[in-house]
Amino acid sequence: MKIHIIKYIAVAFLFLLAPRFVFSQHRISGTVKNSNGEAIPFASISLKATAGGTKTDTAGTFNLPTNAKGKQLLVVTSVGYKSFKKEVTLADSSIYLDIVLLQSDAQSLHEVIISAGSFEASDKAKGASLTAIDAFTVAGSNADVALALRSLPGSQQIGEADGLYVRGGTGDETKQFIDGTLVKNPNYPAVPGLQQYARVNPILFNGILFSTGGYSALYGQAMSSALILESVDLPEKSSAYFSVFTANMGAGIQELAKNKKSSYGVTLRYSNQTWYNAIIPQRINYFSGPEYLEGDANFRIKTGKTGMLKFYTNWNTSNVGMRNPDIDSAALRSGYQVKGMNSYNNLSYREYLNDDWKLEAGLAYSYSRVNTIQTLTGNDGQTIKLPDYPFNEKNNHRIINNDFAQARIVFTRMFPHNQAIRFGAEHFYSHDHGISNDSTIALTDNLTASFAEGDIYLANDLAAKIGVRTEHSSLLNKWVIAPRASLAYRLNDGGQFNFAYGIFYQEPQNDFLYQTTDLHFSSATHYVLNYTKKAHNRFFRIEAYYKQYKDLIKTEPVISNNGKGYARGIELFFRDKKTFKNLDYWISYTYLNTKRDFLDYPDEIQPTFATPHTATIAIKKNFQDIDTYVNISYAFATGRPYYNIRYDNVINVSRIYDQGTTKNYSVLNLQVAHLMSLFKSWKQKPFSGFSVGVNNLLGTNQLFGYNYSANGDIKMPLTLPARRYYYAGFFMSFGINRTSDILDNNNN
Amino acid sequence: MKKLIISGLAILMCYLSASAQQTNLQSAVTKLDKAKTVKDYASVEQEFVKIEGSQPKDWLPNYYAAYCNARIGFLLQDDGESIEAYSNRGEAQAKRAESLLDKVNQKKELAEVYTVMSMINQSKVFINMMTYGPKYGPLAQQYLNQAKQLNPNNPRTIYLAAWFKYNTPKLWGGDKDLAKQLATQSLKMLQNTDTSVNPHWGKAEDQELLSKYK
Repeated sequence: MKIHIIKYIAVAFLFLLAPRFVFSQHRISGTVKNSNGEAIPFASISLKATAGGTKTDTAGTFNLPTNAKGKQLLVVTSVGYKSFKKEVTLADSSIYLDIVLLQSDAQSLHEVIISAGSFEASDKAKGASLTAIDAFTVAGSNADVALALRSLPGSQQIGEADGLYVRGGTGDETKQFIDGTLVKNPNYPAVPGLQQYARVNPILFNGILFSTGGYSALYGQAMSSALILESVDLPEKSSAYFSVFTANMGAGIQELAKNKKSSYGVTLRYSNQTWYNAIIPQRINYFSGPEYLEGDANFRIKTGKTGMLKFYTNWNTSNVGMRNPDIDSAALRSGYQVKGMNSYNNLSYREYLNDDWKLEAGLAYSYSRVNTIQTLTGNDGQTIKLPDYPFNEKNNHRIINNDFAQARIVFTRMFPHNQAIRFGAEHFYSHDHGISNDSTIALTDNLTASFAEGDIYLANDLAAKIGVRTEHSSLLNKWVIAPRASLAYRLNDGGQFNFAYGIFYQEPQNDFLYQTTDLHFSSATHYVLNYTKKAHNRFFRIEAYYKQYKDLIKTEPVISNNGKGYARGIELFFRDKKTFKNLDYWISYTYLNTKRDFLDYPDEIQPTFATPHTATIAIKKNFQDIDTYVNISYAFATGRPYYNIRYDNVINVSRIYDQGTTKNYSVLNLQVAHLMSLFKSWKQKPFSGFSVGVNNLLGTNQLFGYNYSANGDIKMPLTLPARRYYYAGFFMSFGINRTSDILDNNNN
Repeated sequence: MKKLIISGLAILMCYLSASAQQTNLQSAVTKLDKAKTVKDYASVEQEFVKIEGSQPKDWLPNYYAAYCNARIGFLLQDDGESIEAYSNRGEAQAKRAESLLDKVNQKKELAEVYTVMSMINQSKVFINMMTYGPKYGPLAQQYLNQAKQLNPNNPRTIYLAAWFKYNTPKLWGGDKDLAKQLATQSLKMLQNTDTSVNPHWGKAEDQELLSKYK
């Protein structure tokens, strides 16, 4: 009875509110369900001949008022279902229909997933898509995710520095994120001309998104590329391992609670190259280290039915000291020592608030201390102080402490068929304090960002991701708005076209901000177009892009945002797991055309970290019958430009005094791992193995560029510290098959 | 009398419709026996799905539909991109078949379902060894063991055990000699099977596995 009254009142209200012409209309109403009788929300209902249409509500019901009469074609569509068509005859009366949509057949259920500009390597990978382990276990990757990703298109083969140089961007323009939070210092402190290793053990991650352009509005402050890492939730089993290699050793445990609701883990790694360097002659004369000590711990717990709380902490120290002949005087020696200490802590929380809402929150704190000592000494090792240029600039001491904290929250409202709206905000606090010779350094920045993004399925085979991000820096006192958009169109044969566009802002590096804060954000605008096809355990991808750099930092004549540049190119990737049994290989080719005017460059020129052509091959062969894995990687790159740029005090401009192009670069890395089963009688049979490998197997003489003396008369080649790098070691793990670790944990 | 006639007619009707369904099922199973390609299995799967609609209480249509999807998964093992839809479909069908069986009195039938369940989980391993292997490989073994426990003399379970022994690397417990032995045993048990609607596949699979030894 009560319901009737309510209905009556509702109808009465309609009479009161609705304009008169409504009553000349009739309506088609009804429900849309699937074959299991479950309601299908957001299904589109339209009459083919008319413009209007409607969508079902969350209960699967719809109501379509119309003026049309006579025979009409009613069309009902929903993503994942076959479209439904029915001829209806419309008269003055209304029609009620119960519509059942059939699921699309298995073949056409493949979703369209937006992928322009990014390589995803995750534990959800199917067929020839990359997995995190595939990416990490490329020969010569030194357990460094950034090095491993150099076998993918888009990145340059830079041997004299760490980080990822992507599509005409510097290493500093690529940022790494763990579970949403920025990893401020992913590598050990830089040493000029020497690659330093990653601090974070890649085995902790089961998802990597390597974006070489056009990435999501959820991330920012990386002009060229973002490397987005997702950590493992809970391990499958408890396990422990230890490894002893030529220059490093490590041990760790990972314990899964009996109720499988929580886990903790601890690992410790120590690396010391001293005795290795005593046996294998190095071009560089070290007086200390290189020595690295790293420990990490994690704790993960399931909260409630769908929540996940993860804590990760990483502590490490490093010490590298070298003394080599001074470039400006054969009688003197120049020393460089860097001692680093770093801690990175990340607390992340993920919870489904209900069926539709997801919450992700993250807190990160990192501390780093970098102590750099530059000294000029005589052959007797005594420090010498000389008053004249350039020698007066060769005794330096700098200690920089950095406190960095980030808080981040993201809400996701999910809709059927992987549609979603995400929005959130984050705050970055960064405080540098220290000394540089006699002067003190202090710099505090608060960067706030907020973002929103929607994943929308426009049709069964067409999806869009549209987002916007705003950022404000207290130090620069500037606001910026960064739009992002991508589109994906799937073809029936598994092929897909993707397009991405976005503007990416980045604050100037602290080294410039120490000198002046009268600067603003640098930016890059990306346009990316790609085609991918994944089928039959093969993966083909071709991508073309254009990027425009604006407001890059220039250091001459004064520090300013007057720099600019562009990058464009075409990249190819092909992976094949099918053709040869137990052999997996991929090939990449990168064409890059870039010029930029930044730092002390006198004009727009090809930067020293960019070459037009790069090709890589990664091969992994599993000889199953003898339990042996062979890993080979090869990279080729055309020469890179080098310059001697100095400031001309007479005419007050930067000038190129000398330039050239290095010879072509090529490197072949080989790794062989053999697995054994030792201690078969043990209750928990351990998995054991040994691994041997050589980086730069052919001993190719590699030239990355030149260092010039202050007057430009002498140039010293930048090259590898030794022709080849050898490693060999033994590995044993308990609990689970950690073959991939053996392949991954090859050195550092 | 009238009542008797009516009930007699009713019984007859039921019998006729049941036997009609039985012939449907029989013709689908006969088609299944001849299926070789993904297309064959996909089309006969559709038939089983239709039969399931009219016989929702019978475990066999669901069992066979699941088996078709498992077979498709095995046939597509070098095409990781397209397996998952079939595996998921097969899994749901196998679960429905399981739910229609009596856990106490239908152990042999359950063993058949668990054998197919094991195959379906293995088909997920084919999607990508690195990512799906660690989770679904052990599940496939678990279902195989359950099937073995319920009926140690099921030739299809023994065939699947042979398949695993053959395809697993030695270090992780593979044994090609044992595989041969198991496949031979399974083949022997399948010599005199009828071609009724009851599960009877396995002969061709055994022969195919054994042909690798020549």
